[in-house]
Amino acid sequence: MARGLAMPAVPASSPARPVSGEQGNTPVAPAAFLNRLRNIVGSENCLAREGELFAYECDGLTLEPRRPLAVVLPATTAEVSGVVRVCREFEIDFVPRGAGTGLSGGAHATKDSILIECSRLGRVLEVNGEDRFAVVQPGVVNAELSTEIAHLGLFYAPDPSSQQACTIGGNVAENSGGPHTLKYGTTTNHILALEMVLPDGRVQRFGNRVGEASGLDLVGAIVGSEGTLGIVTEITVRLTPIPEGIETMLAIFDDVVAACRAVGRVIRSGVVPAALEIVDRRTIEAVEASVYAAGLPKTAGAVLIAELDGNPVCMESEIRTIREACEAEGCQAIEIARDEKERLRFWRARKGAFGAMGRLAPDLYVHDAVVPRVHLPEILAKVAEICDRHRLKLANVFHAGDGNIHPNICFDRRDPDELARVIEAGSEILEACVAVGGVITGEHGVGIEKRDYLHLVFGENDLEPMYRLREVFNPDGVCNPGKIIPTTRFCVESNPKARGYDEVPIG
Amino acid sequence: MSQVEWSELSTPIRDERVRVPGGRVERVCEPASIDQVREVVSAAATTRTGLLLSAGRTRLALANRADSLGLGLSLRLLSGIDEFEPDEGVVHAKAGTPLVEIREVVLAEGWELPLDSPGERTTVGGTIASAVTGPRAQAFGSVSDAILGLDVVNGEGVASKCGGRVVKNVTGYDLAKLYCGSYGSLAVVTGAWLRLRPAAATCYAYRSEVSSDTESFESVRKLARLTSVRAMLWSEAPGASAGTLHVELGGSEEGVAHDRASLASILLLEEIATGEIDALREARAAVVDDSESSFVAVRARVPGSRVDEMRRTLLAAGLRVSLDPGLGVLYARGRLANVQALAAIRTQAEAAGGLATFEWLPDPWRTKLDVFGSLAGTESLVMSLKEKFDPSRILNPGRFVADPVGGHAS
Repeated sequence: MARGLAMPAVPASSPARPVSGEQGNTPVAPAAFLNRLRNIVGSENCLAREGELFAYECDGLTLEPRRPLAVVLPATTAEVSGVVRVCREFEIDFVPRGAGTGLSGGAHATKDSILIECSRLGRVLEVNGEDRFAVVQPGVVNAELSTEIAHLGLFYAPDPSSQQACTIGGNVAENSGGPHTLKYGTTTNHILALEMVLPDGRVQRFGNRVGEASGLDLVGAIVGSEGTLGIVTEITVRLTPIPEGIETMLAIFDDVVAACRAVGRVIRSGVVPAALEIVDRRTIEAVEASVYAAGLPKTAGAVLIAELDGNPVCMESEIRTIREACEAEGCQAIEIARDEKERLRFWRARKGAFGAMGRLAPDLYVHDAVVPRVHLPEILAKVAEICDRHRLKLANVFHAGDGNIHPNICFDRRDPDELARVIEAGSEILEACVAVGGVITGEHGVGIEKRDYLHLVFGENDLEPMYRLREVFNPDGVCNPGKIIPTTRFCVESNPKARGYDEVPIG
Repeated sequence: MSQVEWSELSTPIRDERVRVPGGRVERVCEPASIDQVREVVSAAATTRTGLLLSAGRTRLALANRADSLGLGLSLRLLSGIDEFEPDEGVVHAKAGTPLVEIREVVLAEGWELPLDSPGERTTVGGTIASAVTGPRAQAFGSVSDAILGLDVVNGEGVASKCGGRVVKNVTGYDLAKLYCGSYGSLAVVTGAWLRLRPAAATCYAYRSEVSSDTESFESVRKLARLTSVRAMLWSEAPGASAGTLHVELGGSEEGVAHDRASLASILLLEEIATGEIDALREARAAVVDDSESSFVAVRARVPGSRVDEMRRTLLAAGLRVSLDPGLGVLYARGRLANVQALAAIRTQAEAAGGLATFEWLPDPWRTKLDVFGSLAGTESLVMSLKEKFDPSRILNPGRFVADPVGGHAS
């Protein structure tokens, strides 16, 4: 596909629907449509030249890129509503997009659609320290909100690993988790109210400032709906007190199975750490050979990072409990961070993992599935067996406390045979997780990546209410079509060609 | 479908009169399996027979008028714990299982069921359908926080499941959120996977008398934020110069000792049995005597900074108050002069960013006020959902979504 900077010529008599470009494979937005969009958001905020659109061909799922007809960047709810109404008038589908860090293709343009990019909706509108909530626009970057409110002794708890880049609007769409989900829950536990532009352009508010509406919990239904029910334009989030004390421990094990068993002991002990994360040998090797080196011994087969937070007076006994759990599973050594510098060093082993794994292969497929925590040891053994059988390099970094595994498969997508094996292995991993009572995604979402795997978890009767929910909000399917559930009710065969890989540190 | 045909169902139906506001049923069926629930709902859909869903019957009064009721559907026999995984801290129970039964089983393995709804007979299904919480929501969170997955039967008699048994899950839409608190208006909950929390190593309860002035109340409200506070209730009668504070602390010995010291620094604490917290929970949610014509029971929730203002309004209206300072939840009951006074309470709660539900109000007032409150512009979406999930509009008419016959009070 040619990637010129000039916008392809638009036929004088543009039909309402997009038409093919000169090469027959580049759809072109009707000029009248673009003019209407420009009237709403300004020319500089309506991107339609090929060069401008290049960066918007995909989100973190870089396979199956698709160029949108245009990208509009509205700055107000009214502009979002106006853009949506124009799209409806011209019968053009639209896809909301946050920072584009998602890993399941939820923000991929669909055929002949535009992207509505929310980065200009980036203001914190209100902070209420007394009642512990903030009202933000969807383009506010996750970590920046916590920075902005730190002086009040509060923070925004959901912390996806991409929190330096990802936006709260995207987090709402994906119901994002993060390392501290174990104690603080996912995004859905922190959203009190929403304002959303419905797919017909109407603006509707949901919820209130106490997080309990007098009616159906539509906020709960919208969070995690991957932008298929409308475009969220304002979010009231719950704020959490910064814990008085934090203790971070790092335990070194011979292998990942022993580390998982220690996690099981901690869960059973009654202690609820803020985080329980495991990093395996291959990841440790990558981290130690990178700028993220955390000083881990070469004998380490797996590392467990356990973080406790809360009232400092409770921590001594909790540390003792975790230490005993690790020692009972034969850990080589266990360290407790003596200061913030050391704490950050421990976390480098975890948070630097994705960046470091870029050294292992040109491409990285960040998988995401969840199993009951008691099945972690066997599922990790199974994942290793699957990858060995397919001759693939595997590295594991995962939220062990939640049973949320992230097998990372290192590969080179230029090798079609290896790519096929990655796809097959990914499919087998999902099947293995579901077989022990797990699910196909814990935090990355379904998007286009796993849409056709839903049948592993849900039967037709289970999917039917999902279709009906979507039909209520998005009856014509124009808002982010083809995401989260199959577009039609056909019982489709697995079509795992849309698989993901990336080096963006999400998980 | 005639009476004879109803009797041909495999689900037993017996004569029993059950009254709800503005309606009643004379017969109740008691399915003992999901298949029987499907059978009853399918038959009801075919005949457009309004079903009154119940199990523990602790919340039947919370309803708008429902004239189209035809049959009771009791989930009482659909009861029992199906799976309990002590190493995982999750449990699956059928909808009619009493919470007290689950609490006992899981506690023996060191876990606590994080549901604290009132009513000795309260069940898993009823708690989920009404999303009702108790004072321990301070520690437990909302009902939906405890739900990992649900089994339901929709208004066409089709069984489905959503969510799962794992503690983290974004596979498809989060339908459990939609069902939780829908008062059975979208589907009959038949079972649930629930997340447990570690049982507190130690637990104590205290009582204290505190001056009712705003300064004292605000001091107490700040103490509700101590990490080991599991429940805090403030009870006060109109015209009283003091309120009675009940606090339950739970967690590690060190944490409880620390927070008890913080409380004792400004309060004179008297230790009491933790069961007193349960007694208070029951008392404020107890079904009222409907013979008192102007009796009301209100549940309001407002942001923390507006609780004192709301408390004063309720007391000034002559209502007794039992509130959870840490949650911003206020229960009030007593006699009100007129329906306008009740409406004004809701107006104030909603203006503060919260809500007010009328757990009891005189029958004539039900034609003027919706017990659940304003849908705030979401009416068309809510009605569309009702149409999609219960197209015959047979599930719990008057519960939350308008009864097509009885009408939704405006």
